[in-house]
Amino acid sequence: MSDIDLGKKTVSDIAASDIVETVPSALIILDKNLNITSANRAFYQTFRTSADETEGCHIYELGNRQWDIPALRTLLESVIPHRASVEGFEVEHDFPTIGRRTMLVNARKIFRPGDGGSILLAIEDVSEERAARSESKRNWQLTQSIVDTIRDPLVVLEDDMTIVTASKAFLTIFGITEVEVRGRRFSELGQHQWDVPALRHLMEKVLPENKPIESFEIEDNFPGLGRRVFNLNARKISQPGNHAHRMLLVFEDITDRKQRERDALSLTNEISHRIKNNLQVIVGLISYEAKWTAAPCVQGYKAMQARIGAIAQLYDLISQSSRGRTVAVDAYLREIAKVMSASLIGDMSGVVIEVKGEQLEIDPDRAVPFGLLVNELATNAIKHAFPHGTGHIMLRVEQVGDQIELVVADNGIGMKEKDSEKIPEKRGSDYVAIFVRQLGGAIVPSKQESTGTTVRIRLPLLLVPPGGAERVAA
Amino acid sequence: MAVILIVEDDVFIREIAVMTIEDWGHETLSASDVDEALVILRSTKSIDLLFTDIYLQMAVHGGCELAHQAIRLRPELRVLYTTGNFVTDAMKALLVEGTHFLRKPYTPHQLQRSVDGLLAA
Repeated sequence: MSDIDLGKKTVSDIAASDIVETVPSALIILDKNLNITSANRAFYQTFRTSADETEGCHIYELGNRQWDIPALRTLLESVIPHRASVEGFEVEHDFPTIGRRTMLVNARKIFRPGDGGSILLAIEDVSEERAARSESKRNWQLTQSIVDTIRDPLVVLEDDMTIVTASKAFLTIFGITEVEVRGRRFSELGQHQWDVPALRHLMEKVLPENKPIESFEIEDNFPGLGRRVFNLNARKISQPGNHAHRMLLVFEDITDRKQRERDALSLTNEISHRIKNNLQVIVGLISYEAKWTAAPCVQGYKAMQARIGAIAQLYDLISQSSRGRTVAVDAYLREIAKVMSASLIGDMSGVVIEVKGEQLEIDPDRAVPFGLLVNELATNAIKHAFPHGTGHIMLRVEQVGDQIELVVADNGIGMKEKDSEKIPEKRGSDYVAIFVRQLGGAIVPSKQESTGTTVRIRLPLLLVPPGGAERVAA
Repeated sequence: MAVILIVEDDVFIREIAVMTIEDWGHETLSASDVDEALVILRSTKSIDLLFTDIYLQMAVHGGCELAHQAIRLRPELRVLYTTGNFVTDAMKALLVEGTHFLRKPYTPHQLQRSVDGLLAA
């Protein structure tokens, strides 16, 4: 290490040698004849050699001529003689001792008084970095291949919303070439169909806030495609070995599905229109009959109208559902309470109906008797519990073990002890008992309080199959 | 006493509504679709309230379109909608602001409350 570790060291020389020994790059110094005069520790470690084998040896002779590399010859014999320094000269070579290596060589000519001139070579082993980059590139190509096999069109975007790549499906469907999309802003594609403020706002949050976009729907006329509906989903993606994040944007063509939904909705609307009109005719007939009926019977007609109303409300809930779905009991109770509350006017305007409900489901087949049951019990409470026109009715539904418990409670005048054993019969009609039987449930005997009446009914719980049934809420 | 235009494509329902409303002392005009209703609305007849079904003669939102045209012709007109269909948020957005809505099947009592409320406003 004579040129670096000189016998007569100055302070600055010592500092320089210390630096040379601590830098991670391998350093060697060659004289004008390309003989190695010195090397540092990093060089010996990297290339598994020693000072004895190295110093004084010609660079090409070193290590059984393993440094006799054509690229290095070019650098030393053709490039360096004409330039003071060279940076980033890449040399790739199979070393017998350490295998294939990729090195970045920086070279600088050094002139000292009395010296014929030396060459300082700094050799950085970038094999791992190159391998990682190469691996990353292979991964990216693999990803691109996978992307191209996916039927749904998709694009990958930079954080400035320019397109990095687009799948073959995207290019085919939108009739555009890769050259035309790459580097273009997403919002500028086509006839700016994607330039929607709400979508832009969501896309701006995908990368910085890692907020995916789920099912953003866009309907528009697309050149060559006609009117189409697309569902857009976006995710943040990270490339291994790269800190930059990109956005994967997938387009799902839901035009056909949307059309089927619209057709089903039209049909539902048409059927609903007819059914409700038929119910309206029945309500109209009842009203007309009630006009010519003696006063004591009018209540019966009104009760009939209320029952029809309860079935109509339930129909609204079921009509939103497709076959096999369940009906949300709590939502249905709230609907009944809302309509009943709206009908409490005049003498009964001081009666308040409250609902407390857990989220429970009932199958559509049992929903009608359930609704009619609630309607009967609440109507009975309104009719009998509050002679002064003020009070409180609670409709509550909760799960108790493997059953649904329905409670209709009021704080009215209550019932006499002798009546309590036959609550439904005394408090309204035989319908309650029929509906309870139809639902496969039972009336739970309740202890009668000094005021108020509580009717408690237990029904079998609907077992929702694994995967869950979709709830239909009001 | 007020004048109420009833627009309903079902004859029976329309006639029952006419009889019910007339029983309360109001005068009624009736139409079965949008075109008939517009003829009446464009006439010089005094009309205080439009009571229309939303779904008219296969026009899913016929009543909504009618109400908008009616308000343009007669800005002071009160509007009461009815429908047997489930009212979605999209449908609500089509309703004229400040109007009332009655779900089918409605009772005479519910209809009276809505009509009285609108006429008193």
